[in-house]
Amino acid sequence: MAPGYSAVLPFRYVTPAELDAFQRREPSAVRALYREYGRLVYAVAYRVLGRRDLAEDAVQETFVRAWQAADGFDVERDPAAWLATISKRAAIDIHRREARRPATGLIDLAADDPAVVTLPPDLGSVDAVWQVRRAIDQLQPDEATIIRMHHLDGMTHTQIADRLGVALGTVKSRSHRAHAKLASLLGHLTETVA
Amino acid sequence: MNERLTADERRALLAGDGADAPPSESAEDLDLLAAVLADPATWAEPRPDLEDAVLRAVADAAPAAATRRPATGGTRRAQHGRSRRVLAAAVGVAASVAIVVGALAVTSGGGSGADFQSELSATALAPRARARVDVTHNAAGFRVELAAHGLRRLRHGAYYQAWLKNAHGRLVAIGTFSSSDGSIVLWSGVDPDEYRGITVTIEPDDDDPGSSGRRVLGGTLRAT
Repeated sequence: MAPGYSAVLPFRYVTPAELDAFQRREPSAVRALYREYGRLVYAVAYRVLGRRDLAEDAVQETFVRAWQAADGFDVERDPAAWLATISKRAAIDIHRREARRPATGLIDLAADDPAVVTLPPDLGSVDAVWQVRRAIDQLQPDEATIIRMHHLDGMTHTQIADRLGVALGTVKSRSHRAHAKLASLLGHLTETVA
Repeated sequence: MNERLTADERRALLAGDGADAPPSESAEDLDLLAAVLADPATWAEPRPDLEDAVLRAVADAAPAAATRRPATGGTRRAQHGRSRRVLAAAVGVAASVAIVVGALAVTSGGGSGADFQSELSATALAPRARARVDVTHNAAGFRVELAAHGLRRLRHGAYYQAWLKNAHGRLVAIGTFSSSDGSIVLWSGVDPDEYRGITVTIEPDDDDPGSSGRRVLGGTLRAT
């Protein structure tokens, strides 16, 4: 892997036994759930809040709320959608709290501070973020890396080949495979978070 | 080598290289997907130590959650064993509370047990912090006893400040302190029944009386 491009970590399914354990509020299950869904929860919170420190608060709040509601969790349901819903609500609560924060002069705040930007976030795109993040987490690391280099960094096949030090044809085939898998995983972005 | 893929080129990748232009409905989906993939939030990675902070926050909240709902089904036997341990612990805690209340009654002429309690969760600003809060009402107001641990000693020019917050987000300061690992007594003139939120922030020693928003602990008071 080229310097500056850490691999996107591989996805790991939480087992049914771990979900049952979470429903029973066994502490060991929290770690398993966080390791699988923590990044997804963080992505949702970061999309709403736009600040890492506040997003981290929201992630903690999300898992606390999930833990407190664990015995009502349907183990047959996809935990990703459930956690994304909680994360979005926790982040919106924090956004509102920060928007109400008193006594700091507006002139002292950054332009993107939630106290200045009091408009609610685009919740439709928040739903899309968690679904896309979920799909990315299910790609192989090399596939996710190429998707990121194309779409986040705007790199061409040739630039990616140079950066990764692999043949252009290899990048093209990986890129095609990654995009096909992503399309298959996402289908269309219709499910919304309550 | 500095050229970047255009939005159209990225959409073409998502539609499949060489594919015909997608129908209008799919084009909207592709636009959304392209925008989300270009959003740094989609790729944001939390700091590695957030995992431990999450586990501590859940552990702090666990006792409150565990007492809210009865045990069910296959977990009952295990719960029964835990219940006995919890009962034994509760007896011990009750005995300790009785001793403390008795001591308070002697020293302050009051004390009838906490009216509100909370376990405060740490934020990323102080991931190792934790605190328990007991609020008792007496003629002078609301006595807020904060047993905080893991808050680092602040540099000169900064201090910790505790706040109560109501449902409308209104903050009322209830006191300041400079270090933790001990029991701190604060006082509130507002009723925690209306101000259920409790937070601790780091404040600079300046002329601004409002909250800095740099929260290190937070929780919700519940009536006992």
